[in-house]
Amino acid sequence: MHEDYISISHISKKYDKDLVLKDVNAVLHKGEILGFLGPSGAGKTTTIKILTGQLMPTSGEAKVLGIDCCRIDERIYEQIGIVSDSSGVYERMSVYDNLKYFARLLNVPLKNIDPLLKRIGLYEHKKKPAAKLSRGQTQRLILARALLHKPKVLFLDEPTSGLDPSTALEIHRILKELKDDGMAIFLTTHNMEEATKLCDHVALLNEGVIVEYGTPEEICLKYNRIKKYRVQLTDGSRHVLLHGADTTGRITSWMNEDRIETLHTCEPTLETVFLEVTGRELQ
Amino acid sequence: MKPIHIRKLAAIIDVKGRALFSKNFIIMPIFSLGFTFLMQIIYERASGGMAGMNAYALAMGMLMNVSMMGFYCTAAALAEEKEKNTLRTLMTSSVNGLEFFLGSLIPVVLMSEVVNILCVFITHVSMTPAQWGAYIAVTTTASVIAAVVGMILGIFSKNQVTASTITTPVVLVFMMIPMFTGFSETLQKISMFFFTGIAFDAIANISSGLPAVDIKGIAVLTAEMVLSVFLFLVLYRRNGFER
Repeated sequence: MHEDYISISHISKKYDKDLVLKDVNAVLHKGEILGFLGPSGAGKTTTIKILTGQLMPTSGEAKVLGIDCCRIDERIYEQIGIVSDSSGVYERMSVYDNLKYFARLLNVPLKNIDPLLKRIGLYEHKKKPAAKLSRGQTQRLILARALLHKPKVLFLDEPTSGLDPSTALEIHRILKELKDDGMAIFLTTHNMEEATKLCDHVALLNEGVIVEYGTPEEICLKYNRIKKYRVQLTDGSRHVLLHGADTTGRITSWMNEDRIETLHTCEPTLETVFLEVTGRELQ
Repeated sequence: MKPIHIRKLAAIIDVKGRALFSKNFIIMPIFSLGFTFLMQIIYERASGGMAGMNAYALAMGMLMNVSMMGFYCTAAALAEEKEKNTLRTLMTSSVNGLEFFLGSLIPVVLMSEVVNILCVFITHVSMTPAQWGAYIAVTTTASVIAAVVGMILGIFSKNQVTASTITTPVVLVFMMIPMFTGFSETLQKISMFFFTGIAFDAIANISSGLPAVDIKGIAVLTAEMVLSVFLFLVLYRRNGFER
């Protein structure tokens, strides 16, 4: 049985008259990645702010590491790490000094900084002022700072937003390693590929409501109502075939004749599911 | 009341202290020292070397320093933390409000006091050990009050430009009114209720061999210290450091 590191139970949040989160429920276990997937304004960042004690929910209950989010004090921050678009770095200080500052605040031995910098790929830049880092390097520094004290839970708010594909891939690799190390990761993103690749469970969030919740595979298969196959033959022709006895016969015959170049099932992606459920694009 | 961790406080003081030597802030103490030096030369030449005029130059320099360092540096440093998103990061890294408050205040007050002491040497004002004690006590109190007011102004500043805009009128009022008390009896009366006015008069009293501050002055300093801390706490509880 996995430990519950985060439990969200019937959380709602109102700003003045606007209900931005409505009856949200979710659970995150040790060593898992939970993705909150939705377009801008869906309530992803609000959820993170509630979970990290930066906002109070209007109703409902949320717990992080067994502590009620309404009663969070600064001690919880010694067990969680946060990477958000409102995370900043001290630009006049070097990469190393930035981490050294937070190491002192979080009572982390300074000898842990260099291995972390190596792991995150910033060791070569450790003496560089943070102001001179590229956006991708800055994001890695923010991630390094969030990982410095080896938190049990890591909150990531759109961690790869605006980054080039290679830096995003590098961050994905690090996140997978952290997950394997037993860290629980709460990720918000509007990138469905990222969610599909990384998350054990995803919640599709639209206008503050979770419209679907489950593993990415479960959700995609649930909406795979019209089963289709996409075939490319060796002569270059492409065919999309509906599931049925005829299709089985045709594919079998092409296989026997060794004419199939590629063959794919056409189950929906999280993006198409989201579009179907909400009528809205994710991006 | 939340506990203060000395380790965290020391780390914040270290970083904030180093930030005061950056080009954004170091200009303030340099300017105050330069202003004091200039005033000392001008008054010495104008008065033919009267001792009282050196004290006047010291008072001007001290006023400039307490106002610029206390109000501006504290407000701008807090605004910079907000502008660069490092304040939110600190607050979600196990630093509590009191640790941040003290960690921000102590380096400013220390630097302000070092400059106040240097101003004494620049202006060649001689003091007995007791007068030194009184001078340091009064100017430190004034620096603390100015820094707390600076933190209050910082709460309302989104960025350094706003901080500069908000602090300028406050600096002018608290600096100019005591400076021009010699020209107007009304200003003299108003100045007696300003902590900067009490500190300004204290230097004249020290120079004349009188007690630096009388009971009324102590009452004003104490009241303004309590009031500024109270106001800060009320605003902090309502808004945090970010309005």
